[in-house]
Amino acid sequence: MAFEEAGALPRPRRLPTGRLAVVAGVVLAASAAWVAGLEMPALLSLMLQWLPHLAMGFALNVAISLGAVGLGTAAGTALALMELSSWVALRLPAEGFVTVFRNAPILVVLFATTYVFPFEISLGPWHIAFPDWAKAMIGLALPAASQVAELLRGAIQSIPSAQWDAAASLAFTRSQSFRWIILPQCAKRALPPWMNLYSTIAMATTLASLVGVHDLLEAATEATTAVQRMDFTVAVYLAVLGWFFVYCYPIARFVRWLERRLDRR
Amino acid sequence: MIEALIKSFVAAARSLGFNFSFLASAYERGMWLDGIRTTLELAAVTIPASLAAGLVLVLALRSPWYWLAGPSRAFIELTRSTPTLVQLDCAFLALNMLVSAALGGAEHNPLTPFFWCVLVIALHIGAFHAEALRAGVEAVPEPTREAARALGFGRAQVLWRIELPIAFRVALPALVNNLVNLIKLTAIGSAIAVGDITYASIMIWTQHDNVVELMLFILLLFGALNFIVSRAGRWLEARVRIPGHGV
Repeated sequence: MAFEEAGALPRPRRLPTGRLAVVAGVVLAASAAWVAGLEMPALLSLMLQWLPHLAMGFALNVAISLGAVGLGTAAGTALALMELSSWVALRLPAEGFVTVFRNAPILVVLFATTYVFPFEISLGPWHIAFPDWAKAMIGLALPAASQVAELLRGAIQSIPSAQWDAAASLAFTRSQSFRWIILPQCAKRALPPWMNLYSTIAMATTLASLVGVHDLLEAATEATTAVQRMDFTVAVYLAVLGWFFVYCYPIARFVRWLERRLDRR
Repeated sequence: MIEALIKSFVAAARSLGFNFSFLASAYERGMWLDGIRTTLELAAVTIPASLAAGLVLVLALRSPWYWLAGPSRAFIELTRSTPTLVQLDCAFLALNMLVSAALGGAEHNPLTPFFWCVLVIALHIGAFHAEALRAGVEAVPEPTREAARALGFGRAQVLWRIELPIAFRVALPALVNNLVNLIKLTAIGSAIAVGDITYASIMIWTQHDNVVELMLFILLLFGALNFIVSRAGRWLEARVRIPGHGV
């Protein structure tokens, strides 16, 4: 009997992930509505009333994440080059930096940058304010830089050395081959993990609420403390969860699509 | 004896410019040691919990029943694309509040911040474990599966005795990586006053203004924990390797 079935094992059906995402969204909304119960209109108007405040918070999340990943990418590229350098004086500090910030919890790094940096910088006669969000941005840029360094180093090392030789035989100098031959190929390979990193950092920006940045999560806490209603509290936190999901999930889907496309080549 | 040792350590640290004077106060020292213990406990409880969650999720994912596979896939997608801190707030501030209300007041609620922290982090990392294991199961060569079927193994047996053991070996590096992230994630427990090392350090440095000293210690502690986990992972990888299987 078993012989007949041995050919093709029934494999589970491929799950329609897109439809599931919609279902997840509906479930979230429905649970919020369920909690709201009969007081739905009051709750809805409260939510609408607080929406601008929450949106302002989320704008800060987006700004911090973009700044942190921008800074982190610039610093991480430099670190990756340092790690691949043949000079120990360049390699060791870069490796040390990457090891420290890959092992440190992001929250702890955020506390460090918040407390260690001054609240303003004095440049001669000028005093430039150093706001909390800027400190948080640097705090997130440090782990981001270590991640970028790792993924870029991996990408650079994955380019066959024949590419370097071929570039050299075409009379490119070492720095020219790196810029024109190697880096464009790396960018393609490093793009999916880099986008995942962006999504991780975007989610990590909520940690900034713990060091006094008025981000979306902080705005949600303020709203619930001001309103003091159980259904509102539940609805607001679920809304924050949904908000981030709507922002980050498309990135995750896009990365998967990109990876599949790169795989096929 | 110990007091004297601590005193000389504090004095030595001061001569180097480090302020460890909190160690001299029994109360603050106790709080700090409690913080270290809580972080170790968090890691020790959450690691097996996350592995169990990952196993349950991957079994649900691979099940032929759509009503089981669908929700677990949805859960994985949701938990991977939302911030853990928001999940923790949803659990501790919203869900815990509902539980308290249902039980007639917070004093009747037996669920502690520690519990919620373990639950949220274990489920969050469990989702990543499940993805790693699923990729491992999918990497099992088709002929292996067919061979098992030909030997009379049933569907569940193939999964449990053939696919998962191979998947575990394939997924091990990813699982260890997830566990390192788990250990780092335990720091968010400080947001809901779990009393871990981060929380204890915040309490102490607001009194003593010695952020750098405590921060260095936190980094050392997490570095050591991560080192132990990744070493244990590498040891396990060598231990369970099937010679000739290439993984």
